[in-house]
Formats: sequence, C-alpha cells, structure tokens
Amino acid sequence: MTDQQTDEKVAFMPQMVNLEYRIVTSPIHQRFDKQMREGRIVGQKCPSCGLVFVPPKGFCPLCAIVMTEKDEVAVKDTATVTSFTVITPIQYQGQKEREEYVLANLILDGADSSIGQQRIEGIPHHDVRMGMRVKAVWATPEERAGEEGGGMRGWGLTAAVKHWEPSGEPDTPREQYQEHIL
Amino acid sequence: MTRDIAIVGYASTPPQTEVRETETQMLFPAVNEALERAGVTRKDVGFTCSASCDYLSGAPFAFVQTLEVTGAWPPISESHVEMDGAWALYEAWVRLHHGDIDVALAFASGITSRCNWREVSSVQLDPYYLMPLWVDDVSLAALQAQALIGSGKITEKAMAEVVARIRGGDAAALLDEPYVVEPLRAHDTPTMTDAGAAIILATGDKARELCEHPAWIAGIDHRSEAHYPGVRDLTLSNAARIAGEQAGVGKGPIEVAELAAQFSHEELLLREALGLGADVDVNPSGGTLASNPVTVSGLIRIGEAANAIIDGGRKRTLGHASAGPCLQQNLVCVLEGD
Amino acid sequence: MAAEASWTLEFPYRRSLGPVVGGFFTGLRDGKVLGSRTRDGRVLVPPLEYDPETGESVQDGLVEVAETGVVTGWAWVTEPMRKHPLDHAFAWALVKLDGADSSLLHALDAPREAVSTGARVRIRWAGERKGHITDIACFEQENS
Repeated sequence: MTDQQTDEKVAFMPQMVNLEYRIVTSPIHQRFDKQMREGRIVGQKCPSCGLVFVPPKGFCPLCAIVMTEKDEVAVKDTATVTSFTVITPIQYQGQKEREEYVLANLILDGADSSIGQQRIEGIPHHDVRMGMRVKAVWATPEERAGEEGGGMRGWGLTAAVKHWEPSGEPDTPREQYQEHIL
Repeated sequence: MTRDIAIVGYASTPPQTEVRETETQMLFPAVNEALERAGVTRKDVGFTCSASCDYLSGAPFAFVQTLEVTGAWPPISESHVEMDGAWALYEAWVRLHHGDIDVALAFASGITSRCNWREVSSVQLDPYYLMPLWVDDVSLAALQAQALIGSGKITEKAMAEVVARIRGGDAAALLDEPYVVEPLRAHDTPTMTDAGAAIILATGDKARELCEHPAWIAGIDHRSEAHYPGVRDLTLSNAARIAGEQAGVGKGPIEVAELAAQFSHEELLLREALGLGADVDVNPSGGTLASNPVTVSGLIRIGEAANAIIDGGRKRTLGHASAGPCLQQNLVCVLEGD
Repeated sequence: MAAEASWTLEFPYRRSLGPVVGGFFTGLRDGKVLGSRTRDGRVLVPPLEYDPETGESVQDGLVEVAETGVVTGWAWVTEPMRKHPLDHAFAWALVKLDGADSSLLHALDAPREAVSTGARVRIRWAGERKGHITDIACFEQENS
C-alpha cells in the first residue's frame, strides 16, 4: 500500500517517441541549390520522351532512364498557376504564419513537371486563379549567398525564390495547362 | 491453383557505408540489372511489390518516391510492405498464383546510415512493456546469445569461428576483443550498410523462355512466434524450424543456404533449426553479418541463393529472412534447379 | 549550404491500455505486481491478453505475484545507450517472479559478478509511480 493508491484505474499511458536523424543532401540537390543561388532555374530533359523535369531527379520518372548534367536545360522564372489554395494557418506550436496566404502549383515556362508549395503575393487572395501568369521574386544575391534559407533538405525553390507575383500577362488558356494541374 | 514460379533475375547494389545520392537513384542500377538479367523490360512486369521502412529515413511515406524507379506510367499494379524485401517477394509469389500475369518484380531499399538503427529498432517493440525501456536489437540478441551459451548449445568460440569464416581473421584473437553487450562483441554484430536489390519472378513457360536455369521456388513459408521474449524459449527458433519444414527444406539435400543471421550466434541457431549439416555452404555471400541494409537483407539472401542455381550450377539452395526481436519471424524459401 | 543537417523526429502518443495492461499498470502504481492466467493455469508476468501457446483470451481477473524472483536470462551492457533505464553499466535480465510462469524483461542494477542465471533479485520501485513499466525502476539483488 502506498499513499499514491487511489480507486481510479490506470487507463492510458503517455508515450513520447523521439529519434535522431541525419539529412544528407544528395549531389543532385546540392547542384540545384547552387544553381538557384546563382539565379538560374535548371531542369533535366529526358533524351527519350523529351519532357523537362524541374527540380531534376537524376532520372526520367516516366521512361525510367538515368539522366545527368549533360541533360540539363534552362527553365524560365515565369510560370502559369495550375492550381492553388488559400491556407488559413492553424496556430499550432511552432507555426510562424499569422495571416492567410496562398500556395500554388506552378508550371514553369520550359518545364513539363509542375512544382508545388509556391507562395503567391502581390494580389488579393480571391483574385488568384488557375491559368494566372506569374514571375519569380528572387531573394537578393547577398541573401542567396548565405547559409540560411536552404531548408532542411537544401532545396532552392522556396528560399532562393521568395515568392511569385502576377506578371500582368494574359492568362494561359486551360487547354495548355490542364494536364499539369498537380 | 498453384503454378511453377521461378526467380529469373536478381541484382543488388554494392553495399555502401553511406550512400550520398537519393534512395531512388541508388535503386536504379539494381532494378535495371535485374530486369536485364531476366531479359524483360518494365512493360513486361504485371505486378510490383516494394519493401522499405520509413523509420530508416524518419519520414512517413518515404517509400513513395522510390516507386519512380519502376517508370510507373501508364499506372502500374503495385503494393508495398514495411518489411524486409523477402516479404515483398512472398507477396509477388502469391499474386502470380492468381494466374492472370506471368512476371513480377520485388525490390527493396535500405539506407541505414541516416539513423541510429540500434535506437530506432526499439520502436518496433511492444509499446507497453518493451519500448519504454528502449531495449535495442543488440541487447535483445545478446539475451538470446547468452541463453544459448548458458544452455550449452553453443560457445563463444563457435561464434568467433563463424565471424572468422565470414570476416577473416583468427577466431582465438577475436575472443580477446571487448564485449559490446556481453556475450556479443562488436564483430558478432552486423555491419550496417546502405543498399538496394531487385528480383524478377516468372511463371512456368515464361520462366523457361527467359532463363536457361531458372531457380524454381519449390517451397516458401513464413512463421512468427510470440513477441515478448519472456514467454519464449530463446534457445530455439520454432518459427524458423516450422517455416523450414513447411517450405520443404528436409525433402532433399541443401547445397547453399543464405541465412539472414544478423549476429554470429543466429547462424548457429538457424543451422540447427533448419537441420543444416556441416556440408552445407552457409552464407558464401558473406551473409547479413557482413552487410546489413536491414529491409533488403532477406531479399539479398534469396537472390544470392537463386544465383547459385541460375549461374552457379547448383541444384538446391535456400534463402532465409527474419524480422522482429530474437528471430521472432522467419521466412524460408527453398529453390531448385532443373 | 550545408550538405548535412540533423533533426529530431518527435511525436507524442497517448495509448489506451484496456483491462489487462491497464490492470497491470494500476497494480504497479499501487506497488504490486499482477499477472494474467491462462486456461491451464499458467501465470503470465507481464500479463499478456492472449495465451501465447493457444491464442485464447486469458482468464478474467489478474493475480498477484511476488516482488522477488529469479534471473532466467541476462546480457551485460558495458556502455548504456542514452535512453537505457540506467546510466552506468547494467544487465538486461529476464526475471521470473515468484508465482509467475513467464519472465519479465527489465534492467538489473548489480555488479557484473552478481549477474547470472539463477541469481535471486527483487524489484526496486520508482519513487513516484504513475502506472507505467518504469514504475519498476529496475531489479536489484535480493540480498542487498
């Protein structure tokens, strides 16, 4: 018998799992990061199907062919919004966002794979639309040279390019991007 | 309905201490070479099953990206096991029995260099009684090794001889090394590596068309025993014994046995459980002691046992895989050549 | 940019326990050890919900066993890992408590010479208990 004894039965058990990991940025991602810091967006073009993937994966996911630096092609920093959402940031512990913001899927000019999680600024949220034309707003060369902003996995697209804003060009017709919604 | 199913191609990547490229990039050579050896292309594959463990990379659904190694367009029929690739092969074997497809691919990847596997291994255990103690796989293996030594079934010297055979060196000198968790010394524990592997399965006439010496799956079975070490007799491996019996190990002589023994004492225990005599060539590949990419180890054992038939002129071999603490779960695959 | 980064993956769980595991942890909180009974009368400590031999559910109700018992298996940890129960060299031990038919796995805080199969040990209770396997801080020698 102890002074802790009560009539209440133990019904639950808390369990905290914590594990340590190393993230290793692969050579291909390091190369993309370096190119982004230089202000260049570079993709890889498959020698078989001719599709351009950005960021490069080192292979074509459709043809399953290995690709290398010799398959690199330049991709523009202008793009079409293929889909988007307005995020209402839940104030969980660690959340840095306070106001609503827009994340979009973009198809960059010159690329065939879309990129996600791109932030749109400079336009009221309810005016953002599929087909809208945007251009990149880059971090300054000084900002891009720093150690910050690489993110855990060292990518460039959400750090070297801070966000995207409307370019003022006419919207892209739906037929031209409808196969790249996601 | 049962069908004749054979392994017609196998490849694995050379084990690395630490791979720097992405997991998918690492897998490409294994899958490409296995397809090439089998003489099929990705378009010929009717079903794919992959294996990996998200806890190795610390990211949920980490395996989804590795599917890109299959060139999944048009969309493919595939499945996944959060287990050793041997169980991906088992699922592919079951799928082929449905009769509507003739070729299947099983592949596995394991990058162990991103985590402390000893610590991560605790998270697979009973969450109430074992995980909160963070008892790791080396400690649990040591409990089994001590049970075997205490019962008189094995000796530290016999363990050292297994290590000397696989890693080289002098068994007597190995016994001078300090314990990590007594009675296990560092060399009794597996060398953790990063690797990927792939196996192509084909049925009946298709296998004969593709491969001159297909490694026919004569029997395959997997068994699991109780999880909690305190209710088990750790000096036995009942699950391995029964899996071996059901797979038909005893129906003929075994020339080569590739055993997924991560620890030196496990080889001795498995030899006994599977009834393998001194004349059996055990782990000529070096086994899991020499290279342990965790979720790939068992698939590699089966692939190496298959190659002994496909390329090596052998007629009857076996590959083994295990999972869980102290050989809780075991898979045995008996392969035969024509 | 750094080619490597380290990070901690952390997630909290709150696990429901049910009558068997919950009953065992309630017992530990109250300073006693309970086991479950199989149909053929074996007492399992820690209690499993199903007989590992037959797969049947265990009998209703838990029975009390002693705080003392015998080591049925062990392994000696020279250098503890950061999350092990003790921060100095210790043994993992399988202990069959008096009255139980299965063994409990936990840490044993004793000098290496005292660790052997057959050694008599007893539970060292944690100072504050909450209904958790670590309410047993570890085992120690019975005569210490």
